Amino acid sequence: MSTAGVVSTGGTKSGATPARRQTFRGMGRLAARPTLGVELGVGVTWLVLLVGLAGESAGSPTSPSRALWWCTASMAGMARTVGGGSTSSLGAFAAGIGMWAAMATAMMLPSAMPAVRHVAVNSLYRRRRRAVIEFLAVYLGVWIGFGVAVLAVLAVWRPAEAVALPAALLVAVLWQLTPGKRRALRNCHRSCALPPFGWRASAGVARFGLRNGGACVASCWALMLTMALVSSGRLLWMAVLTGVVLGEKLTLKPRRATRRSAVVLGAAAAGAGVAALVG
Amino acid sequence: MWYRRPALRRTLTSTGFGNRRGLGREEAGCNETIYHITDGGSLMAAPAGVHIRRDAWSLPPGDLTLVHYANAVKVMKERPATNPRSWSYQAAIHGSLVLPALELWNQCKHGSWWFVAWHRMFVYYFEQIVRAAIEETAGPSDWALPYWNYGRNGEYASLPLPFRNPTENGVPNPLYVAQRAPGINSGSRLPPAVTTDVFALSRPQFTGATEFGGGVAPPAPQFYSQTGRLEQTPHNDVHNAVGKGGWMANPFLAAQDPIFWLHHSNIDRIWAIWIAVGHVDPSDNGWLGQRFEFYDAEGKEVSKSCAEVRDTVVDLNYTYDPPPAPSAPAPLPAAVRPQVIVLPPTSPEPRVVGATAQAVTLVGNAADIPVEIDEQARQDVLTASSEADPRRLFLNVEDIEGEVNPGSVYGIYVNLPDTPSPADLSAHHIGNVSFFGIERARDPQDDEHPHNLRVSVEVGELVNALSTEGRWDLERMYVSFRPLSLIPPADSPEPAEPEGEDPPVHIGRVSLSVG
Repeated sequence: MSTAGVVSTGGTKSGATPARRQTFRGMGRLAARPTLGVELGVGVTWLVLLVGLAGESAGSPTSPSRALWWCTASMAGMARTVGGGSTSSLGAFAAGIGMWAAMATAMMLPSAMPAVRHVAVNSLYRRRRRAVIEFLAVYLGVWIGFGVAVLAVLAVWRPAEAVALPAALLVAVLWQLTPGKRRALRNCHRSCALPPFGWRASAGVARFGLRNGGACVASCWALMLTMALVSSGRLLWMAVLTGVVLGEKLTLKPRRATRRSAVVLGAAAAGAGVAALVG
Repeated sequence: MWYRRPALRRTLTSTGFGNRRGLGREEAGCNETIYHITDGGSLMAAPAGVHIRRDAWSLPPGDLTLVHYANAVKVMKERPATNPRSWSYQAAIHGSLVLPALELWNQCKHGSWWFVAWHRMFVYYFEQIVRAAIEETAGPSDWALPYWNYGRNGEYASLPLPFRNPTENGVPNPLYVAQRAPGINSGSRLPPAVTTDVFALSRPQFTGATEFGGGVAPPAPQFYSQTGRLEQTPHNDVHNAVGKGGWMANPFLAAQDPIFWLHHSNIDRIWAIWIAVGHVDPSDNGWLGQRFEFYDAEGKEVSKSCAEVRDTVVDLNYTYDPPPAPSAPAPLPAAVRPQVIVLPPTSPEPRVVGATAQAVTLVGNAADIPVEIDEQARQDVLTASSEADPRRLFLNVEDIEGEVNPGSVYGIYVNLPDTPSPADLSAHHIGNVSFFGIERARDPQDDEHPHNLRVSVEVGELVNALSTEGRWDLERMYVSFRPLSLIPPADSPEPAEPEGEDPPVHIGRVSLSVG
């Protein structure tokens, strides 16, 4: 509901000044934001990734002192998994999945915020928090399932990055221009009714999480495939691809946005191809 | 005191609620003077040359307003389809199924706070094009689009006579369209529950999905999910009732029916009435500054902002006869709440406190569905429904889906008795739901995202009344959807509507929220 018509009648029991009342009201509204917790979670994830991947962007190895332990472990695991390390190490594989989950959280959840809001606002008030957690678990679970499949394939068949990266970007460009992409992007905006009580409520949220997560994977799988293939400058790649995803999901003219992002990705593919030839 | 000249008060048609844009008419002799109430309540005569839109059912015998309109429709239909001043091009600005779309096609704004302003501009420029076409055929230069005031009910709720006959004097009647709901062209009347403007006029605020003008939305989409009360009833409902199975029920065909423009003239008039009784338009700069593009009488692209169409007399040089004012001396329903609404700062979003467990499918018959109320919120619902509580109680019809618009209009009733009397139907009626635009909500035609269809109405007043009478069940409320059928003319033996089921429309959930 819009709050544009909200008018204060003035006068409070606390006798606070108008300025202080405005401040309290602003803080109250912020605290009452149904998606605040998720937004903070996304922010923290970005912060962790920033700290963890900053060294990589600068070309120096990531220092444990500069990254949280799990992030470092995850990156190392992913590097080993993707980069041809010990594929028998279940721990390394799990760490790679951890990194994948962090990337999915940072890159995909911002564009899924309208869906999070739908769950929060339209669930029974007293189970709002629980419903959001259930949705996030299923939504990210779908992405993690996709990540498991991708990393498993890369663990047994590892093409050279110089060839694989331009090829993946080219696939992403082509996918951007297909009707399938358009359909998937539209499905990202569809909601479904949420039953109010008991197990039906959880099942309803899970169904919505599956639909929304599935549509999101169908829309953005090619972009995330690119992320699985790059081994350096991942922070920059993450920022660019997050911008692409946000743009096409939240803009008012999605077809135009997907075509523009196809141009950006095409330029990136050409750049990666030239770099591979020169290198 | 609204009028500075007390002597005039007895002779003004306006009942004097206006504070800013109210209008009055001095009925002295043959010379009619239209008065305009400006900011601060001063009264001044409307400038000479102001075009006056009149009630199509009350045109005097021999009046040629609709004859000129028919001639202009014919002229516009003879123009090439690529001419922005042609009939089909003007209709396509609202919506068209033809591909590829030409410049400024498919621009209509529904389901948001843009609805009233965009349609005022649309009708304003259409009226100029029609006036120019009338002048081309040696007609008068002061022609103004009439309005269909179906809210007067009785015979006035049936289609005005000049629109019903396929031919006039042996030649095709340009105002006739066969693609209308069964019975409309033979005099069936729209039911009062469809034509009522009370749900709209009783809303104290402009902005919001439960308020008069609709909720905030981006300007680009043709359809959004923030339908205001005026847009729902009577606007959407009349579209459906007139066009079930035909053009008026489809936003991409509707403007091809000449009655579309008289319907929207009336909707525009109700907006002017709402302002005349003391309400205010949005002051948000985003709304005020938003511009929309159209074609003028010369076929040139022009644009106007919402701020430039708020006052029909000052900004657009037209008014209505009778001047916008409360339509009846009867008071607005008790559902009117104080205009100053204070929401607790920590609850900007309504909180869901109950909902249906199952979806319901509407196929043209009545349907009842229980809304279970959370046991921890039952007392809160009662508290929120009381006048003393600043919070409000909303009933939400959510996740509405359907392949096609069935054209039906349903009344929404709460806790209706098993065999309701007409008084019960009136007392328990909280609003309507119809599905104008449902085809495009989930499958937009242009480069848009899909969105939900949802209808929200305030229900606190009724809950409070039921509670006071001891007829409120704390655990659940029953919501009924009952089709509102056309009323066949008294001399017609045929039913107004054919038997058989409608194409299905699924309602995912009905919920109760406090906010």
